[in-house]
Amino acid sequence: MTASPNAETQRSAANSGNALSRAVGSPGGRAFLALVFVLILGAIFNGDGAFFKFGTHRDTLREASVYGILACGMTPIIISGGIDLSVGSVLALTAVCSAMMAIHWNWSGWLVAPLSLLVGAACGLASGLVTARLVVQPFIATLSMMVLARGLAKYASGGMKVSTAIANPDGTYRYVDVPPLFRMVDHRILGGNLSVVTVIFAVCVALAWLLMGKHCWGRYLYAIGGNEEATRFSGVPVVLVKTLAYVFCGMYAAVAGICEAAQEQQGDPEAGVGYELMAIAMVVIGGTSLMGGRGGIGLTLLGVLTIGYLDKILSINAVPEAGRLMLTGVIIVVAVLTQRRKRT
Amino acid sequence: MFGNFSLNRSNGRSTVPQVSKPAVSPISKSASRTTTADSQVWKPALQQILILIALAPAILFLTGCNKSNNTAQAPAAGSPQSAAAPAPSPGQQFVIGMSQCNLGEPWRVQMNADIKAAADKHPELKVIFKNAANDTLQQRAQVEEFVSAKVNLIIISPKEAQPLTEPVAEAIQAGIPVIVLDRKLLGTNYTCFIGADNKKIGKAAGEWIVKTLGGKGNVVELMGLQTSTPGQDRHSGFAEAIAGTDIKVIFSADMQWLEPNARQEMESALSRFDHIDLVYAHNDDGAHGAYLAAQAAGRDKQMKFVGIDALPQEGVAYVRQGILSATFQYPTGGAQAIDTALKVLHGEQVPKEITLGTRLFTKDNVDQGGEAVGN
Repeated sequence: MTASPNAETQRSAANSGNALSRAVGSPGGRAFLALVFVLILGAIFNGDGAFFKFGTHRDTLREASVYGILACGMTPIIISGGIDLSVGSVLALTAVCSAMMAIHWNWSGWLVAPLSLLVGAACGLASGLVTARLVVQPFIATLSMMVLARGLAKYASGGMKVSTAIANPDGTYRYVDVPPLFRMVDHRILGGNLSVVTVIFAVCVALAWLLMGKHCWGRYLYAIGGNEEATRFSGVPVVLVKTLAYVFCGMYAAVAGICEAAQEQQGDPEAGVGYELMAIAMVVIGGTSLMGGRGGIGLTLLGVLTIGYLDKILSINAVPEAGRLMLTGVIIVVAVLTQRRKRT
Repeated sequence: MFGNFSLNRSNGRSTVPQVSKPAVSPISKSASRTTTADSQVWKPALQQILILIALAPAILFLTGCNKSNNTAQAPAAGSPQSAAAPAPSPGQQFVIGMSQCNLGEPWRVQMNADIKAAADKHPELKVIFKNAANDTLQQRAQVEEFVSAKVNLIIISPKEAQPLTEPVAEAIQAGIPVIVLDRKLLGTNYTCFIGADNKKIGKAAGEWIVKTLGGKGNVVELMGLQTSTPGQDRHSGFAEAIAGTDIKVIFSADMQWLEPNARQEMESALSRFDHIDLVYAHNDDGAHGAYLAAQAAGRDKQMKFVGIDALPQEGVAYVRQGILSATFQYPTGGAQAIDTALKVLHGEQVPKEITLGTRLFTKDNVDQGGEAVGN
């Protein structure tokens, strides 16, 4: 209880500071500046003009989509002051499950997609209940879910990739077509100018934005992130709200899992290693505070684009791996430092 | 339901201890009864118990998972955990202990499957499979367990050289022959090393590419992790083979053996270069990712894709489906390990080192099981 009033004063101080500062000083303005900075880098180091081709931007948006969906799912949890480390593993689990249902058992996409979402939701429900109801630190609770879901993915797939080559009992292989669900997700519309994966990402952003901005669930999450105790005493069903945030994140991880499986045309139990850190970095670089209570989906979208474009620019210039990692590290730290100035 | 939960929780936070808590295990109930005055006293203890309860299934499941993995690989091996000392009666039954450094990679799953398939042909062999789950110390413990269980022979595919050299030397000292698979140990204190040469494979791939392209063309190289020896060797062997020809590597990137990364790098290469003749990827996953990128760009027919590893359900399947033009096998050595083990157990001489050759799989020879090249 003693720490909470301090957090409250800090928060109101930050708010009044924002109200006084110009539009550029707002978190959104700063996140946008970071994106513009990266785009300018791209225009300078354009890889023999590759950066100015439309296809490059279409591919960037597609490549950033899986991370972006995870980051969108993660944002409500981080705003409520929690964290979810399990998204990469849940992605692998749903990728394996959806590949098994769609490829091996030849189930319809109308059945596969909802069932995969259910798998993700179940993982989220488990970490949510352990975190909110049993009051285990979210870091620990989702860390165990990360290990558990990875194990489940390996168990379900038998340690092998679930691909269109299916082993017969006698050791030979039979081959099946890539299922329509995967074909549809890894497809392009509007004359090949927009990936379906990007559309799915956009829908995820819009849905998350509506829920966070227009629904009382979103307001409660901000309140919990700001001061959980006070929120509880004002009659908000804190356990329900927090649990739902983890269920939401689990379902988004499942969507990302289906997209990943569709793009690889197989379910890989090793997929998604390290994706949770990428998603957290995207949320944080947008300006959402890991302490909770501040941030938003719009900021996360800017963070996703910033890191997505940074990756692409390093890739078209064929920067060696070591330089890539160093540059990414430096740019993330600079961006986060820029964000932090708003507190003073 | 959730409303009730939150109600209970807020009651629990008040100074009155809340004894009747639903959905909590008997342990925590008794914990709450023993403390009387303040909920804050038992709360940390309760929390710790709950953390343990939350973690327990994960831990239990993982150990259970390893077990079931092992038995799936080796139903003949019986319970892999109870490596009881067998009666070492030569001529009747031999027990072989196999320590695999990790079963996370399909290639290593295949290695165990190869060993099992080869061992199943010899009823006198019984193989106990253990999976070190990428943990060096666990693998060390497994070797020591095999020694104290007095198995007749140990096969090890070590995670790393330095920490496992000593335990293997101790097994040799205890009179148990050790066959080392895939990765080398320091020194020569083992019975036989069986492994493939990535540099030779890279060279064979390079030579095939030179021949196929007629010594001229633009190649994209998607490299495996360049801080790993296989990645470096597959690159240097290839570079050696194309040196002096008109084959140019116009774009190369480290895709770290990962398919999504390969697809992203390939998309960059496609948007940068209008003319690409061939993609050489250091593994079949990478070649498949590159194929998907080219297919999405409508350019998959303009270029060839070459990979390495040739696992039955991956690279060989891709060749059969017409996705890859060629793949070069990185053999697991499982069958050779059992052959060598039998020789050792029957007292025959075996070479200190066996280098496995590679096999080339193309559309023309895939039904005949590929052909040996570059040896």
